[in-house]
Amino acid sequence: MNLTRLLAAAAASAAGLGLLAYTSAASLAYHPEDGARLRLSWSARPERIEKCRQLSAEEQAQREEHMRQRVECEGGFASYALRVEVDDRSIGETVFRGGGLRHDRPMHVLRDFPVPAGEHRVRVRVTRRETTDDDAAAFAQPVVPDADTGLFAGRAQREAAERARSARAAIPPALLLDTTFRFTPRQVALVSFDAERRVLVLHGRGGETAGRPR
Amino acid sequence: MRLLKRWFRGVLAGLDAVLNRVYGWERNPIHQAGTVAVAMLLVLLGTGLYLVLYYRVGAPAASVARLAADPWLGGWMRTLHRYGSDLFVIAAALHAFRMFAQDRSWGPRTLAWVSGLSLFAAGLICAWTGFVMAWDSFGERLALEGARLFDVLPLFSEPLSRIFAGDGPVPSAFFFVNLFIHIALPLGLGIGLWLHVSRLARPALLPPRRLLWAIIGLLTLASVLLPAPLGPAADPLRLAPSTPTDLVVAWWLPLSERLPAGAAWSAGLLLSLLALLVPRFTRHPREARWAPSTVDPRLCTGCNQCPQDCPWEAITMVGRDDGSPTLVAAVNASRCVSCGICAGSCAPMGVGPTGRTGRDQLTGLREVTLPALARGGAVPTIAICCAQAPAAHRAALQARGAHVHLVSCIGNLHSSVIEFFLRSGAPGVMVGGCPPRDCSSREGPRWLRQRLLNGREAELQSRVDRRRVGLATLAPGALAETVAAFERFTRQLPAAPVPEPESNPDLDTECEPVPLEEAAK
Repeated sequence: MNLTRLLAAAAASAAGLGLLAYTSAASLAYHPEDGARLRLSWSARPERIEKCRQLSAEEQAQREEHMRQRVECEGGFASYALRVEVDDRSIGETVFRGGGLRHDRPMHVLRDFPVPAGEHRVRVRVTRRETTDDDAAAFAQPVVPDADTGLFAGRAQREAAERARSARAAIPPALLLDTTFRFTPRQVALVSFDAERRVLVLHGRGGETAGRPR
Repeated sequence: MRLLKRWFRGVLAGLDAVLNRVYGWERNPIHQAGTVAVAMLLVLLGTGLYLVLYYRVGAPAASVARLAADPWLGGWMRTLHRYGSDLFVIAAALHAFRMFAQDRSWGPRTLAWVSGLSLFAAGLICAWTGFVMAWDSFGERLALEGARLFDVLPLFSEPLSRIFAGDGPVPSAFFFVNLFIHIALPLGLGIGLWLHVSRLARPALLPPRRLLWAIIGLLTLASVLLPAPLGPAADPLRLAPSTPTDLVVAWWLPLSERLPAGAAWSAGLLLSLLALLVPRFTRHPREARWAPSTVDPRLCTGCNQCPQDCPWEAITMVGRDDGSPTLVAAVNASRCVSCGICAGSCAPMGVGPTGRTGRDQLTGLREVTLPALARGGAVPTIAICCAQAPAAHRAALQARGAHVHLVSCIGNLHSSVIEFFLRSGAPGVMVGGCPPRDCSSREGPRWLRQRLLNGREAELQSRVDRRRVGLATLAPGALAETVAAFERFTRQLPAAPVPEPESNPDLDTECEPVPLEEAAK
């Protein structure tokens, strides 16, 4: 290899490596605007909307002992309307429901809404779409401790506890977060559902703001 | 497809010409692209083993930032790992590009093509997980895009994207699974590589040693001088205006982000399907130029040379069914790529693709080439050229008075053809082939050299005056070298007297049958 070729090879190698280093870390625009985001993110179980009826003593007697439920319910799972407003202007409306073919799995919400930086009134409203007067809660019967005996002793208490647990795990029929928030440029403000307090919560850099069940 | 292939071939020839001029064809790195990719896998393995010792799934961003800040070893090891992955992708893409352009992507090479694509895809996925491991703004961007794409598939009960929403820390289980994929995939790459070369005899897995160390040395130097930047740690509650993006491994990212997830999947699947179907689109009928080799059992002496020379392990020696005590060659047509190297390896001219066996080559000379040359007066100097050699080189040789005789590959050339030309009055024969690492038949120049100069079986007979036989490499971009080699060759020819032409030379090329017991040794 003569000197000219050696120099050319060295220059070409340097150029190639420089190009490799450049393309390996090229600055690629991601969120070039200075705005902010309002992000809604939560998982919650939908309510079960049921038509319930009390079984008569005759009906129960016809069933096997282990099938003798006092209240029989049929129904499906609720769907919810979500409405997001910033400064009293709607920026997003959608309907969400539980996952799975029967919509009996938890609902997962993940939506981003661009918001200009600055102070804004934020209102997030979640409303159950189905209405019902005679849901399972209406049929909640006072627990009679000794109603079941033998192998099935305590079933009434367990049924009542299960209903209460399901009702607690489900999202309330209506939720509202109504607050004023200062969005800094490029900030993502997160609205999530606090399952313990059963409210929507907005998390910002300086802390959090809770909404309330309506 | 033919047009595309021609265009690709033009681009490749241009690229080869530039690099041959700069580095010389012996060191042209893109002739070695496949082996460079394998070498980069080894570099990735070595540097990866070091990096994984310091990686913490519980604190991914902090552990990588600590590595990047280490001025002694960690910093440049991380960059070398990154540059190595980039070079792997570039080299693998160039290798595939060459295979496609040179019509080496169909028929018996289908397994290599498909396994090669799988290796490439696995390499990209591995790089993807590697960047996510670093958990900087670019890693987060890749993770979000991956989650967005996977969320449209009915695979997970909860959308993956919620992991990165910011309402809780990203679980370390995610980084553990990511790390597992990043480490498990290279193990799969090993199996894929074995499949990729499983149909090759003597696969070349690494570039020549000097080139290998030059590439590793230069990459290490670049890693020290130009460390790859690490973006700010991922923050789901902060929008990054830009990310330091590795466009070599994430070239698809800007496009994918602009498409709805379903469309991105469709485009990716369509592209993959098209790439996988290349062997179907580029295949040729197995006839004429693409006819597989056949064996004439009457001529086969059982010498076992063609199975040794075949670069595709397409020939085996089997027992004869006529009770004769010698073995006979048998060609597995599904493995034969019609390179014709077996024809050049067979002294008695009993094997080769139809129309290109040693006998066919001599018949062509006797009946067509030599009569035509004789009509023009004295037989000129002959330049036997590979048909894949650049047209400009062939034209230049012709312009300097040579008669250009084309063969499909110089490995296909039977040494008797050279002797035949010389005994017919040609003052000299120069054989010009492709650069050895760019031979589409893999080992044509290597075997020809050994047959002409080192006495490999089917050798050029000792009675042939070696001063009248020359060898040259016709590399794109090295026309001046080709012309100089030819002029050097012709200058030295007058020193040796031209023998009297024979009107119909009878070549004693057949060798004795090899007894079965001897062949078995």
